[in-house]
Amino acid sequence: MNKNFADLNVNPCKMCVPLGAATAFYGIRKCMSILHGSQGCSTYIRRHMATHYNEPVDIASSSLTEQGTVFGGEKNLLQGLENLIRLYEPEVIGVATTCLAETIGEDVPAMIKKFYEQHPEYRQVKIINASTAGYAGTQNEGFFRALRAIVSQVEMRTEKNGKLNVITGYLSPADQRYLKELLAEMGPEFILLPDFSDNLDGGHETMYQRLPQKGTSLEEIAQMGGARCTLELSRFVRPEDSPGAYLQQQYGVPCTRLDIPCGLRGMDALLSALTQLGGRQTEKIWQARSRYLDAMVDSHKYSALGRALIFGEPDFVQGTVKLCAENGLIPVAALTGAVCPEFRQALSEEMAAAAEIQFIDKFVIEDDADFARAEALAVALGVNILIGNSDGRRIAEKMHLPLIRASFPIHDQVGGQRIRTIGYSGSLAFLDRMANALLLQRASGFREDMYKKYYLAGATKPTQIGLATDKAAMLAKKTAEHPCFTCGQGKYARIHLPIAPACNVQCNYCLRKYDCPNESRPGVTTEILSPEEALMKYQRVKADMPNLRVVGIAGPGDSLANFAATKATLTLLHEFDPDVTFCLSTNGLMLPAYAEELIRLQVTHVTITINAVDPKIGAQIYKYVDYMGTRYHGESAAGILLANQLTGLQYLAQHDVVCKVNIVALKGINETHIEDVVRKVKELGAKITNIMQMIPVAGSAFEHIPMVSLKEIAAMRARCSVYLEQMMHCRQCRADAAGTLDHDVSILYRRAERLPADEAAPLQRVAVATKSGTLVDQHFGQANEFYIYESDGIQARFIERRNVVRYCQGKEICETKTDRIEALLHTIKDCSSVLAMRIGDSPQRKLEAMGIRVIATYDRIEDAVKKAAQGA
Amino acid sequence: MNEREKVLDQYSGRVFKNRKDHIIELDEAGVPQVIAANSRSIPGLMVNRGCCYAGCKGVVLGPIADAVVLTHGPIGCGFYSWGTRRNKAKPEGEGAKNYLQYCFSTDMQEPDIVFGGEKKLRQAIVEIMEIFQPKCIFICSTCPVGLIGDDIQAVARWVKSTYKIACAAFSCEGYKGVSQSAGHHIANNGLMKEIIGSGQAKNSKKFAVNLLGEYNIGGDGWETERLLKQIGYEVVSVFTGDGSFEKMKNAHTANLNLVQCHRSINYIAEMMKAKYGIDWIKVNFIGIDETIRSLRSLAIYFDDAGLKQRTEEVIADELAAIEDQRQYYRSRLTGYTAGVFVGGSRSHHYQNLLLDFGIKTVIAGYEFAHRDDYEGREVLPDIKPDADSKNIEQLSPVADEAHYHLTLSKERFAELQNEIDLETYHGMFREMADGTVTVDDFNHYETEKLIELFQPDIFYSGIKDKYMIQKSGTPSRQLHSYDYSGPYACFTGAINFARDTYMSISAPAWKYLTPPWLVSSTLEGSIGGTENA
Repeated sequence: MNKNFADLNVNPCKMCVPLGAATAFYGIRKCMSILHGSQGCSTYIRRHMATHYNEPVDIASSSLTEQGTVFGGEKNLLQGLENLIRLYEPEVIGVATTCLAETIGEDVPAMIKKFYEQHPEYRQVKIINASTAGYAGTQNEGFFRALRAIVSQVEMRTEKNGKLNVITGYLSPADQRYLKELLAEMGPEFILLPDFSDNLDGGHETMYQRLPQKGTSLEEIAQMGGARCTLELSRFVRPEDSPGAYLQQQYGVPCTRLDIPCGLRGMDALLSALTQLGGRQTEKIWQARSRYLDAMVDSHKYSALGRALIFGEPDFVQGTVKLCAENGLIPVAALTGAVCPEFRQALSEEMAAAAEIQFIDKFVIEDDADFARAEALAVALGVNILIGNSDGRRIAEKMHLPLIRASFPIHDQVGGQRIRTIGYSGSLAFLDRMANALLLQRASGFREDMYKKYYLAGATKPTQIGLATDKAAMLAKKTAEHPCFTCGQGKYARIHLPIAPACNVQCNYCLRKYDCPNESRPGVTTEILSPEEALMKYQRVKADMPNLRVVGIAGPGDSLANFAATKATLTLLHEFDPDVTFCLSTNGLMLPAYAEELIRLQVTHVTITINAVDPKIGAQIYKYVDYMGTRYHGESAAGILLANQLTGLQYLAQHDVVCKVNIVALKGINETHIEDVVRKVKELGAKITNIMQMIPVAGSAFEHIPMVSLKEIAAMRARCSVYLEQMMHCRQCRADAAGTLDHDVSILYRRAERLPADEAAPLQRVAVATKSGTLVDQHFGQANEFYIYESDGIQARFIERRNVVRYCQGKEICETKTDRIEALLHTIKDCSSVLAMRIGDSPQRKLEAMGIRVIATYDRIEDAVKKAAQGA
Repeated sequence: MNEREKVLDQYSGRVFKNRKDHIIELDEAGVPQVIAANSRSIPGLMVNRGCCYAGCKGVVLGPIADAVVLTHGPIGCGFYSWGTRRNKAKPEGEGAKNYLQYCFSTDMQEPDIVFGGEKKLRQAIVEIMEIFQPKCIFICSTCPVGLIGDDIQAVARWVKSTYKIACAAFSCEGYKGVSQSAGHHIANNGLMKEIIGSGQAKNSKKFAVNLLGEYNIGGDGWETERLLKQIGYEVVSVFTGDGSFEKMKNAHTANLNLVQCHRSINYIAEMMKAKYGIDWIKVNFIGIDETIRSLRSLAIYFDDAGLKQRTEEVIADELAAIEDQRQYYRSRLTGYTAGVFVGGSRSHHYQNLLLDFGIKTVIAGYEFAHRDDYEGREVLPDIKPDADSKNIEQLSPVADEAHYHLTLSKERFAELQNEIDLETYHGMFREMADGTVTVDDFNHYETEKLIELFQPDIFYSGIKDKYMIQKSGTPSRQLHSYDYSGPYACFTGAINFARDTYMSISAPAWKYLTPPWLVSSTLEGSIGGTENA
């Protein structure tokens, strides 16, 4: 199975059998059709045909109900026939069956016989029945099955008449008109079956005729058995459905099977067949041929840009593939929804030859395909043009590809009935549309590409030396005042504004919860601010902290997945404080879309998290990526993300944005790959990389992955510092962090309230040893982490959790067992008190020597913290 | 002969006998008229009705964006109901799914019909779970499935126990009932049994409502929701335009159900009343005056001073915003006449909207309405179930003690029934004037004949008769899909509608065509009322 799905059809690339039959019956003069089944079938089919042809489409129904399924539908069909004749006075009636009638096994021929017996007055009405169960193929089979029923049920006049039968598959009314004109021009007397060129593309008459007045007449059909020869313009019609084969078997009319005359070779073949049958090759026809040849030459440079995905009925696809191939427009995928075993065989040579011209090694031919498959192939094969019916519009919209509409149905544009694809003139019109779409695609991006590549990257810098210097100085100053770029020296403060809740990438190490005040790590905040609230917060914090220099947007989701909010915030802040430094964190997915605008918005520093530069590794890190309305998984997700990160990084770097790249070290996944990442981002212009530990988050996919030790991180940083400056002091800040790196005071500014500075007692910072998280219930010496609280004695607020190992500052302190105490002390050295259930004498002395009060207690944490603060 | 008789004249005895009761001329306004409705269509008459599957999958379930609706059957039905109703939706919140762009089908082939398709259905669901991971799957069967006996209900049970997700199976084979209407009922039953009330939310908000029977064609639902939210209502869920399984499962927490399309959703309104005690009220957000009336009825129901004030403020704001255009289009459109032939509620709703701009409806009809949609719910006790309606399951839910909550006292409820359309609907006839003709289950021939007889300036119906109407020289607009326009709901929607109508009537092309009745006489009759019937 080469399909995505074996038992599920996602977005079908085919319609049902009765629709084809009803269409074919529309090509018979004064013919009405009736579907034997529930009335929904005819309603749905009328709706679909009317929307395409923009003409009244009237198909009756025998309106079977539940009773009919039990007792049979004879009564309904007989009544239906009678009413149809009374109201429409047709000369021919086509009865097509449906899933329902075929499943209950209706004997339609017997019913028709009975109808004639009951109504001798209607004997002159020719009733033709076609067996068209919806599950027995597609509209294409239905179309031919109805034609076969017509030629096999009309009484033939077998005397030789010298005429030529021309039988076609699904063609547009305009193409049928062309064919008629061609045959008239060339001379041989012909019978075209079917011919709905007027019935389904009529004019506006003074009186509307309920009954289709034009088309192949019964009279003409009756002569088909005595014709000289049949030309059947379909390569794929099944022998058992072929009207030409029937006429040959039954009446000895020789049948020649030709391809649909699309493209030069298809049309040449038809022309040569007609010539052999005595047709004239006129000047007019040769002019049309030479005009098409001229057009092939004129547009070959644009045609060659194309990588086409072609879909639809097998004959249409084959004709279009040949037209594309002869124009150097490479058909890389040919799909049909029908089950058609000969399809691959018939197309492969043509497509292989076409692909070879341009070193394309992969092309796909598939029958029984759906649009889910088409979409996957369009991505995989780098398709840049779609050719087929309007159901391809969903892929076209999603992937921003041109769709050249042809075949049936065209539901989103007018004029579907007049689309030309056959003959020299039709091929020319078809080719022009393809070439123009490719030309437009190239032209719309060409100037911009060139401008970016040559003008922006090359010419601007030397001609604007002064400006560049000023800008460089400004940037240097901003960077120097950015806490993340100054080894956290504590002089300047930053604030992270949590305005971006949504994220478009699911990293396996991340679980974002908004209301989570008891954790400190990226992706966490207690509240989401609107842009206006963010401005207010900035104004408040700025008033308290004149050293505030940097505003960061770090989530808790992705700043660019919430671009409207990010843009509004940046605009508001810039109006308020033009000197502020904007620093943005992003996963980079949307950078290509917004990088230009970020620069306009005065963003000078951007951090991109790039964990891998190989989609295979990325696929293990990212669960999915939501991009342009589609959720991608696996390597395609990682591939899209990576491509966007790298182009985004390069663009920003080229435009003097200081780019930092964060790399989360993931044990067993990317730890050996990090050097590659650093090298790659250096090449694209990153200024610094920050290799970080992954903090395992309960509930995330990587919950149980062991942490890469700090020792290993240090070693990686050392290795990578050969290529690029390394950031050594990252605190993996919260999405709403505020203050200096060492002294985060974000808690004071949460929930839009703060402690009035003048009334509040000085804040005490208290470290708590706890196992449960609610009680002070851990021995100091056994603590692996401390909960850090701040309290003024009235309120106690949780600040963060400090991991003893994580806060360990180096080998000499942490490696030996005996110095574990040192690590503990170091972790909480900024606190004024420490609460623990028990504590040994020696650490107690050391703590007191550091000026830290020790309280041994067993109490609820908040209460104990408040008491401790009061006692200070 | 009057117009009605002229239409019937063409029919054979048997057809005449049937159709005469479906075509009603209103001669004395106010006198109750009985119409035959919701009965079998006559074969061969080119009716506009769809099937049970179309009503269930196409209309009611189709717009639910976060559920995978899987058609179990051969390819046609799934394909034809793929994104054709213009019901818009947008996924809300992180990770929200939107499957509206997709068509899922088991694409049954001949061997599946012969040997049964259950295995294929299960396998298709395995594939859906692997690739799309929905939280809810609806299985809808087409004609052959019911005949070959695939047990889709068993498959739904298997889905629920295997994947722990919501799943409901709808045996909506096309041949059931007499029209889409049966499908609406089947969909209502399934949603009631499997979805509504399956959420854990509690009734908490004061002005919490569900909007029932709003399918968000061209954005109608969004426009209505915008107004409701602006006034201060919490819209718990919408059935089913831009619908969300995640919201619908908590629909039982609302205080009031607003019924827009009575025909397709009244079952749920009634069942929720029985099970959860939630009152329902007939609203109509199509038409300016009707929107005002509906909003005021809501305010009266909740009887809250603040709410009433907000209601009046919003009405005033909205009216002010459209005033100029309203005047303009009214001056342009007054005096025109219209024919309105749509499904089961719109023909009524749009008459109100047309009146806002001075357009009189002279002929109207429904495809699949029941008698109560014409004559009002007063006739419900008189409607005798026939063989076709008896085949559709009739649920009688009992009160759910855990969630039952009455908003009004019994006394207040009785009192309000006199004041607003509380749990009642008066039908389309009441809106129509003397001499107008109403046709139930109209067909191709009747439509043509009525246009000839009444010569309306514009004809509102659907795609199937659109081109036939235009060929007759009459402007037409599709009221099923709005011809790629909309929204038409509420205040600004009314202006959109008026603009589209005026654009159609004043299209330069009409001037170059000559309607047939100006060229030759197509009517028979004599002046002075001396004609022989």
